[in-house]
Amino acid sequence: MSRNDHLLTVEDLQKSYGDELVLDGIDFTMDAQDVQVLIGPSGSGKSTLLRCVNRLTEFEGGTISLDGEDVMAMDVNELRRQVGMVFQDFNLFAHLSARENVALGPRRVLGKSKAEANDRALDELERVGLADQADSYPAELSGGQKQRVGIARALAMDPKLMLFDEPTSALDPELIGEVLGVMRELADEGMTMLCVTHEMGFARQVATDIMFLEDGRLVEHGDPERLFTDPRHERTEQFLRRLTELHGGGSES
Amino acid sequence: MTAAALSLATADWTYVWQNLGTLLRGVWPAVRLTGTALLAGFLVGVPLGALEVYGGRRSAWLARKAGVAVRGTPILVIMFITYFGLGLSPAFVAATAALGVRSAAYQAQVFRGALQSIDRGQMEAARAVGLSKLGAIRHVMIPQGLRRFVPGFQNEYTIVLKDTSIAFAISYTEIFYQMYNLIPQQTTATPELFVTAAAVYLALTLVGNRVLDYVDDAFGVPDGGASQ
Amino acid sequence: MSAERERRHADLERGLTYAIGGAIWLWLCFRWLNSWLGGVVVGPTEPLVPQSFATATESLGATLGAVGDGVPLVATGFDLVGWAVGMVGFASQYGPQLAVAAWLTVVLTVISTLVGLVVAVPLAAARVYGRVTKYVAFVYIELIRGTPLVAQLFLLYYGAPFLSKFIREVPGVGQGIVPAQAVWIAIIGFVINSSAYQAEYIRGSVESVDPGQLTAARAVGLDKLGGIRYVVLPQALRYAIPSWTNELVYLIKYSSLAMFITVPEIFTQADSIGSETFAYTNAYVLAAGFYLVLVVTASYGMSKVEAEVAIPGVGSSDAGR
Repeated sequence: MSRNDHLLTVEDLQKSYGDELVLDGIDFTMDAQDVQVLIGPSGSGKSTLLRCVNRLTEFEGGTISLDGEDVMAMDVNELRRQVGMVFQDFNLFAHLSARENVALGPRRVLGKSKAEANDRALDELERVGLADQADSYPAELSGGQKQRVGIARALAMDPKLMLFDEPTSALDPELIGEVLGVMRELADEGMTMLCVTHEMGFARQVATDIMFLEDGRLVEHGDPERLFTDPRHERTEQFLRRLTELHGGGSES
Repeated sequence: MTAAALSLATADWTYVWQNLGTLLRGVWPAVRLTGTALLAGFLVGVPLGALEVYGGRRSAWLARKAGVAVRGTPILVIMFITYFGLGLSPAFVAATAALGVRSAAYQAQVFRGALQSIDRGQMEAARAVGLSKLGAIRHVMIPQGLRRFVPGFQNEYTIVLKDTSIAFAISYTEIFYQMYNLIPQQTTATPELFVTAAAVYLALTLVGNRVLDYVDDAFGVPDGGASQ
Repeated sequence: MSAERERRHADLERGLTYAIGGAIWLWLCFRWLNSWLGGVVVGPTEPLVPQSFATATESLGATLGAVGDGVPLVATGFDLVGWAVGMVGFASQYGPQLAVAAWLTVVLTVISTLVGLVVAVPLAAARVYGRVTKYVAFVYIELIRGTPLVAQLFLLYYGAPFLSKFIREVPGVGQGIVPAQAVWIAIIGFVINSSAYQAEYIRGSVESVDPGQLTAARAVGLDKLGGIRYVVLPQALRYAIPSWTNELVYLIKYSSLAMFITVPEIFTQADSIGSETFAYTNAYVLAAGFYLVLVVTASYGMSKVEAEVAIPGVGSSDAGR
């Protein structure tokens, strides 16, 4: 199969900080509408992998292609226009209202008119259920609301691919559900998503594939049911068991 | 650039070099004045700062308004009031009074900020072990406030040191005064003299700040300081 | 009950401040207009109230001051009251001269702060993002901040005669409303001084913006310059407001140092009134009052600006010299 057939192709990805190799030969592909979940212990390189895809982190070896195009050959801002990102700690623009946060990209990057950008922002806020909070500033929103604005902000750029970097791990437990709900809807609508998350319920129900990363290596991957019920590697099994003990099983959280 | 101009410049630096002793004779008076003014400011300012935070309505109000008035008046004006107006003499006393009063107003503000940055729980905890309000202020709040005070004090030191130069206007024989009196004998050396005097202040600022860094390290509360 | 009383007191205090401040500013504006128009109403420095009022208050003050002489404390109390009453007369007579001079102080301060800001932004940018320029900016900033402003002013005025000569030869300087060369040198000195401080404030506030903000801006597809312009700066400038207030207040007060280089600002005028009347304390206290009005107004104005542009969560941090 040629790499051109996949939406995202990652081949032999290498990344190191100084002497420490944090990503060591990662290979995987994603097709349109795939929901790829990345799991692994902290420091295993999950976030770094995500950040290599939109080049927030530069990598030394291997190739990443988006829609058949080598990301290193793309203009970095053009690449980021096509790849949306949702951060663990939200990173909403503190000085802008929810609506302005979402409108900034369409307005300043896509060059839309103010009115157009505003309309688009309201549509996206509606989509994540926050139309009534359009004029609130980040400091006035709950964590769950902030993260939904973060998702709307990424969606407003019409991305081909969305990156989620532990979108719920900074949230109080009772707020996690609303964010996962939005993510599930997105998946149902056919958005292609690459998610780092430890929400096993979400992973099990929504993911098309789960990858287990450890020490910068891809230990194993497979469809959720298989991975949960019949992990091939000792390390995967141990990790999943610990997660289950912590988060109370593979059912909905 | 002609050779003549070049030799002239050299002559000016030679003049500065020959009179460096006179210039440096101003260092001790400047340092002494900085010291006395900061001390006076500290002794008056710290209680005033505490008064603003923990005092009664009237006394806190008075302390606040007096602070605004003093902080809103140029040091030159204050110094002329103490020297020419109130007739304090010698100049050292008038300068200490002026810089001291002004510094007290600023140190009160810095100390107030330091006190207010202390976690509320500290006061509650102190009262919970049975200390009176005054006891809590004295044994728990003020010691912590003083430690958070050092970084703000550093700024205050720099300001007071530089402002001792203004005391030349009331004929206090500090660095700037000494330098100013060296001009008439060789007016062409004016820029060189100013640059040298500025360098002396710069050296004093840097040395003083290193000393205060050391003080901060020695007395600051680990992780408890507001020094960002 | 007590909270109610406290609120009433606060309201009263605010009302009084507004009334007095408003009256002073009305009077100041009147004096300025009157002087620009060549004294259409009264002479540019001529008092509105007759000389006899001043004489009367001064003698009343003297009488009051004499009350209780010999009795400790009471005597001091009446001395103070008598002085205050006499001061009213003194202010009515010499206030107009200081009012005209105050305009120059305002001009000096405002121009220096604004031009200082224009110089400070690239300095701060160099300090944060520069390679070689970083060190140049650092040395400039530390050199200026580590030496007294008096020294900087004197160096420009006495130590650089070519500068005075150059400015004096610029057509128009010292004629009409264009101030004389000493004023320009004072402005240059204040700009140099202020730019160093403002550069540090801006650097501080840029660095206090969470780095994640720029990352998020880049992730949306903005380039670095766009991210700085649309995301970092709008926040940093808000963080910088309290330090700007301090800077403005600082310049208002230290503009008095321009007296040493013959600029006819408030304190120069007060000093000459002092040596003319020998009432030094009165003259200096009156000058202090003028500075205080300017300083309080500047702080109040900046707090209004801060409230106007305030956004929940984009906090203001206290900073400044």
